[in-house]
Amino acid sequence: MVHKEDTDITRIAKDIMNQFAIIVRTARIHDPGNVAITTAIDKLIAMANPAIDSSGALTFEFIGEIFYVNRMRVGYSMEYFLNFAFLMREFKKNGLGSITMNTTLKSEDVQIFLKAFISSTFSDEPFNALMDGVAHINSFSVGPLQKIKEEKEFDTRKQVKKIYYNAVSYTKEIMNQIKSEKKIDIKKAKRIVESMVDLILQQEELLIGMTAIKDYDGYTFYHSVNVSILSVALGHKLGLNKKALTELGVVALFHDFGKMEIPQEILNKPTKLTEDDWGMMERHPFWGVRAILKFKGLNEISVRAAIVAFEHHLNYDLSGYPSVSIPMELDFYSRIVTLADRYDAMTSTRVYARIALPPDKALSFMIEKAGKHYDPLLIKFFIDMIGMLPVGTLLLLNTKELGLVFEGNATFPDKPRVLVVVDSDGKKIKGRVVDLTEKDGSGNYLRKAVKTLDPNKYNINLAEYLL
Amino acid sequence: MTAEEVIKVKHIIQTLLKAKKNIRLYPANNPIYVKTINDTFVVFDEFLNYKDELVLKIKQKEIFYGSDHVYHNPEKENNFAFFFFKDGIRELSFKKGLSKHELEGFLKSIAVDFDREAIEDDIVTLFWEMDFTNIKYIVDESFLTEDEDFETKATNEIKSKVPNVDTFMKAYSDAFNAEDVKETSIINITNEDLHLLAKEKENDLQDKTNKLLKVVLEMILQTESTAELENIYHTLKDLIIYSLENKNLPVFINIIKKAKETAENNVTPDNVKKQINLLLSSVNSEELVRHVCKILESDIDIDENFLNEYTEFLNRNAITPLIVVLGELESIHGRKKVINLLTQVGKKDLQTLAKGLSDSRWYVVRNIVYILRQIGDKRALEYIITAAKHPDIRVRKEVIWALSEFKSSSALVILKDYLNDTDILIRKVAVKALCGIGSVDAREVLLNSVPGKDFLNKELDEKKEFFAALSNWKDPETVNFIIKILKNKTFFKRLRHNENKACAAYSLGLMGNKDALPALYKLKNSKNKLLREHASAAINKIEHGT
Ligand SMILES: [Fe+2]
Ligand SMILES: [Fe+2]
Repeated sequence: MVHKEDTDITRIAKDIMNQFAIIVRTARIHDPGNVAITTAIDKLIAMANPAIDSSGALTFEFIGEIFYVNRMRVGYSMEYFLNFAFLMREFKKNGLGSITMNTTLKSEDVQIFLKAFISSTFSDEPFNALMDGVAHINSFSVGPLQKIKEEKEFDTRKQVKKIYYNAVSYTKEIMNQIKSEKKIDIKKAKRIVESMVDLILQQEELLIGMTAIKDYDGYTFYHSVNVSILSVALGHKLGLNKKALTELGVVALFHDFGKMEIPQEILNKPTKLTEDDWGMMERHPFWGVRAILKFKGLNEISVRAAIVAFEHHLNYDLSGYPSVSIPMELDFYSRIVTLADRYDAMTSTRVYARIALPPDKALSFMIEKAGKHYDPLLIKFFIDMIGMLPVGTLLLLNTKELGLVFEGNATFPDKPRVLVVVDSDGKKIKGRVVDLTEKDGSGNYLRKAVKTLDPNKYNINLAEYLL
Repeated sequence: MTAEEVIKVKHIIQTLLKAKKNIRLYPANNPIYVKTINDTFVVFDEFLNYKDELVLKIKQKEIFYGSDHVYHNPEKENNFAFFFFKDGIRELSFKKGLSKHELEGFLKSIAVDFDREAIEDDIVTLFWEMDFTNIKYIVDESFLTEDEDFETKATNEIKSKVPNVDTFMKAYSDAFNAEDVKETSIINITNEDLHLLAKEKENDLQDKTNKLLKVVLEMILQTESTAELENIYHTLKDLIIYSLENKNLPVFINIIKKAKETAENNVTPDNVKKQINLLLSSVNSEELVRHVCKILESDIDIDENFLNEYTEFLNRNAITPLIVVLGELESIHGRKKVINLLTQVGKKDLQTLAKGLSDSRWYVVRNIVYILRQIGDKRALEYIITAAKHPDIRVRKEVIWALSEFKSSSALVILKDYLNDTDILIRKVAVKALCGIGSVDAREVLLNSVPGKDFLNKELDEKKEFFAALSNWKDPETVNFIIKILKNKTFFKRLRHNENKACAAYSLGLMGNKDALPALYKLKNSKNKLLREHASAAINKIEHGT
């Protein structure tokens, strides 16, 4: 595949896909013969035909969360964000992997295609239904969505774990280096984060899932990696590019460097912190800046890392600590990292004898503080990213089975993959993964989540089940 | 792998090595750069058309194609295999469809001088950012961390942590009365949100140095123990260097301004004040001066006000560094700006500035003379005079122009000497300068030089320059002096004298003085052609103004 930023064809493709999304959305409300739809179709044809003429055919492919046109990657742009997300869901729902426009389009053909596209959604085998629906028109052909094979999935899980623990191990090493005054190697930090960024771009749910397991010794190291992952995932949701995501990930990884100056006894205190302890805790943003500025010289990343280290406990309304004498607007990355930081801290037990909150509780606490503690805009994207049923949530299904959310589903947030631990007869079982998107012969979902519980309340060792 | 293939791959490696060198040396618009990209592309294209894929295995000191060596180098220095190996690359493959654009990205990445440039990326990061589609690499990440078995240890630790009490049954019985799953996602991201987000991202592109400065100043204000501020000098210095490396003069000025304010603030601890003062004096160091001058030399637009503010922070210590750097700059507009700076700062210590006159580089000396001239101080003249005998005529010329502005008697003495300079050009310029001064004393210097054989033996056009200069004074005394020359009847060295007379005629013509007409008419029919022509021309000029 040729990679070139925004060639003419990819730019036109963006417009065409956007227009197609508009048509499908409209067609969900109106009848295909409606004027609103026919004019929209005419517009689509006007866009597509010149491109079809000049390149022979236009093939839109959807592979691993990315759209391609004639084998060239179609970048997302902010203006089309919603419609692209919509199209992705539509493709996934229909099991659709590609649409090819073979010849110059005619309005009637587009209407036939549209009808088939809409009605196939309600079929048991949507892709086959769609293929049948368009079989008699020459101008369109479709291809199925390439499913990731089970084996490959197993490999990915293994890789996710490897990358996660590699990151923690690295973080532990550099954070210990701060105390030994050794120079930090930012190149390595970038490499570590790049591998995480790659995973998040491919399949973000998996790496985010790793952050659900808390309770390790050495909280700060795991916490730093979790904050980095959650920040990058949020950054991805916000549409940052690869390079910016790396920058954000490194900055997030370094946010608590200042904690290395706090004695371990205080950091891991099982009881409530004294006032003196808090005084010490509240200095860690300062010490973080100092540690980062000790790097050899400054660069784009260390400048931002220092700013974020300073600001990550400052709230959106500038309450929090350290207090600032000159009011300043918090850095964009600071506001992202703060969300990730508080969420991870709230859902962890080890922080100052606090009881860990279940993810949904943590989120609703955060929503209450939107606009005061958290950036009201960014928090929306954050919640959307975490989803309603994050990994580790304990679920009761309508089948009277009990299970743990094993892997999120970015497209259908209420249909994650679940590890069933108690079967419908109320018997404890070894653990079997089910997918809530599975349907029976008549097109009804086999299972549905009905109740949620806090796994912390039941002393459930998530690691046992998720790793 | 046929022997033929191996030869081809070896050739590809050699082509890559050559390209690595060329791309580093030449800018993208250079023909060699373009040719290198094209040549390398052809070599790859040929191979990939025939094999579809080229897979290279990277070892520490060698590169393999299949089981065959295609590169080997026992040295660690400049080792093409180790270059990839050290950052974890173990396999590198190129696939059919490789575009020129991609190949160029690849070549540019491998051409980066990682040892010299202050670069925060390794080769893998550069590749990663390129997002290649037809170049793949396999990386071994294990070298990034020391603890190879961290994963096993960590998972064992966590799994053993909570006693695996069977609490699921309890959870199961509670579950039927637990909270319902919320039906819909609460969050609705609107177009308005996306719009706001786009704005946020745009705002985020701003330079962050000023923000970090705020943070650092905040820390200075809030730190109780001065020991924590031990390094504030280095911190601020790093900020300064960073802003200068980014060629951001406004941020740099802001840093020193804010630092100065902090040093002047009563609440600032003494040791911080001390460090800041040290920092402020380092603004005059050669290192920082060079940085600033490089920015001045670049094509970045710089507001006058910033330059003025910068000048305020400079003291006499900056003079010598400025002179050193002045000699290093290549562009005229860069030198001009530094000259302006030196004119401002040089005033603070003429003696130091004048040391630049003994610089070994003639152009620096010339610039210093120019600067002293701009300063215009009486004392500046004394220093200029010390350069009067500089071996390079370009310096001497500059001295002459400087002297012509001072107009004092000591300037005239030197200018008089210049009339006998070994170089005709200098002599002529000195004449012009005296003419420019236009005073009676200046005229005397010229008049006094005319009689005598030295003048008589000068080339015609130098003489002409002299008389042209004299025509500038139109008073009777000068006119009479020239007419007297015109009427000269010496036989001895007649040709030479005729030249003098022709020049005199020329001068009178320029003056346009009618009193000279009778004497000129007498020469109109001279046997000497030169004289005849000049006399006629002068008459025409006086009578018709042409
Ligand atoms: Fe923190
Ligand atoms: Fe934190």
